[in-house]
Amino acid sequence: MLNISHIYNMNFLEKGMLSIMPEAVIIVFAFIVLFLTFFERLSKSNNPYYLSLISIGFSMLYILMLSGRTIDGFYGSIVFNEFSVFLFIGILFAGFLTILMSNNYINNFEVPLPEYYSLILFGVSSMMLLVSSNNLIMVFLSIEFMSITAYILTGYLKGNTRSTEAALKYFVLGTFASAFLIFGSVFIYAATGHLNLYNIHYFITSVANKGLINFGTIKIYLAIGLILFLVGLAFKMSLFPFHAWTPDAYDGAPTPITNFMATGIKIAAFAIFLRIYSLIYNFNIMDFNNILWLLAILSMTFGNIAAIMSSNIKRLLAYSSIAQAGYILIGIIGGGYYGYSGTLFYLFAYIFMTAGAFAIVVAFENFDLMSLDIKKYSGIGYKYPFVAAAMAFFLLSLAGIPVTSGFMGKFYVFSAAIKSRYDLLVLIALINSAFAAFYYIKIIVQMYMPDKEELIISSSNGVQRDRGSGGANLNKLNNDFGVVNGKINEGLMIAIFICLFFTLLMGIFPQIFINFAHNSINSLWSI
Amino acid sequence: MSINAYLIVAGVIFCIGAFGVLIRKNLIIIFMSLELMFNAANLGLVAVSGYLNLIDGDIFVIFVMVVAAAEAAIALGIAVAFYREKGTVDIDKANELKL
Repeated sequence: MLNISHIYNMNFLEKGMLSIMPEAVIIVFAFIVLFLTFFERLSKSNNPYYLSLISIGFSMLYILMLSGRTIDGFYGSIVFNEFSVFLFIGILFAGFLTILMSNNYINNFEVPLPEYYSLILFGVSSMMLLVSSNNLIMVFLSIEFMSITAYILTGYLKGNTRSTEAALKYFVLGTFASAFLIFGSVFIYAATGHLNLYNIHYFITSVANKGLINFGTIKIYLAIGLILFLVGLAFKMSLFPFHAWTPDAYDGAPTPITNFMATGIKIAAFAIFLRIYSLIYNFNIMDFNNILWLLAILSMTFGNIAAIMSSNIKRLLAYSSIAQAGYILIGIIGGGYYGYSGTLFYLFAYIFMTAGAFAIVVAFENFDLMSLDIKKYSGIGYKYPFVAAAMAFFLLSLAGIPVTSGFMGKFYVFSAAIKSRYDLLVLIALINSAFAAFYYIKIIVQMYMPDKEELIISSSNGVQRDRGSGGANLNKLNNDFGVVNGKINEGLMIAIFICLFFTLLMGIFPQIFINFAHNSINSLWSI
Repeated sequence: MSINAYLIVAGVIFCIGAFGVLIRKNLIIIFMSLELMFNAANLGLVAVSGYLNLIDGDIFVIFVMVVAAAEAAIALGIAVAFYREKGTVDIDKANELKL
């Protein structure tokens, strides 16, 4: 590894800049992409798209240069360590895949392009800031930064009523959650007098060990604060009682942005929850594991039941993501070294299987904008064999069938929970995942074994499909708000291949990734 | 004067804001209620930081105010977009997305 630390005299600003370098690169590129709007000729072509992809690459380079070191900048508000590195790579992949699948999709709509890509880059940088933030101010700021970019991107399809409505619902509920988050941090601040997570950690451990006077009030304040804070974060993680925005926002948003929300925002929220949970919640102030236990079970059960009943593929994936959030939470409840590293592994696996599924939804939308109904998927396995096979693979991974990353993720998470004697929780989770396999496999059955009458319906009101000339070359279809171009471009294809590669690799050789996750968890605790 | 009184007032304002968000149908009033919730938190932060003789809370308040301003911009943008499509800012008209 290239060592650049000796160049710097480690004073405040330079150390701070070093700790946010991967984010800063992306923010600079986001501004460059934004300035492309001044030059009409530059912004009309694919330049913003390529620039955003390059910026992700540069950021990855910086992470590789800095990895293996712990840098805390800005008086400990930002901590760059192995934990951040693991999640940075995940978030950068989520952003990369989103940008890859955006190019084709967003050209179908008449929307301004450079702003779109720059907002995605800002979103990626805000998630990275959130993951490495170590101060309640920084947590609040980066969550808001992340949410604001997501609100704008959700309502990006101008004149599309569904998109605007999704943005509206997402905004109201998201801001409601942020208010809970900040009110929670008021109480944590009142109880401990600190905003830095490490300081709060030290305070709580010392109080818990020594049993200081006035512990009663502190305990009450801390309990109120932690509960309110948990509510705010649970909204972002879309756990059950706080999930209400998820299906609507996922449904109405442009599909690449749905992917961005499902992968990027979810893992960033889980990562910061993991960091805060392991530092603050995990003491005998109150038994938070019982609350999380309930949240996990409710999320899984509700998500799966609602997913079975939904007929829109994006809504189905939204409900499935609520259920997946429940599974991920089991790792955090299981706790300890193995539970947390299993959680990180699951998060990493979750990015690729979800992004793959959404990439294929985007691909099908390129053939037919109205193809979000699951009934439209009938017989698609014979028309587009590769895409349908990839979809089947991602759905099997989400269901947790062996040889996929989803299986290994569930295995690590559940075994950690068994180690901590949460047998009933794991039993319910296993029943749930068997239950969930039903609706994932229902789509696969729909793709490969269509009912005769459904096939007739879908071909009569579908597009005139022409398989003759080079596969998926369709007539242009004018819809009420967009034009489909009827082909899968290279970017989308690369996205599908990346997702397939990682889903398979993590299923067959999980050891590489789980070792990496172990290292990052070690850095979380070496304060 | 103990810190409890300030925090209770902040909590009451926060609850008023939360009920406003849940009960009201007009988008603009909902945004006002959200601002109320943020400002309740601001009150709490200032009170705690004054009580503990620290400055972190006051810094936090400034950041919250900046974020609230940014959110207001987004909120009004969304409200205008919604009004253009539906001709009203009644959130009961936001009923297209469902199973």
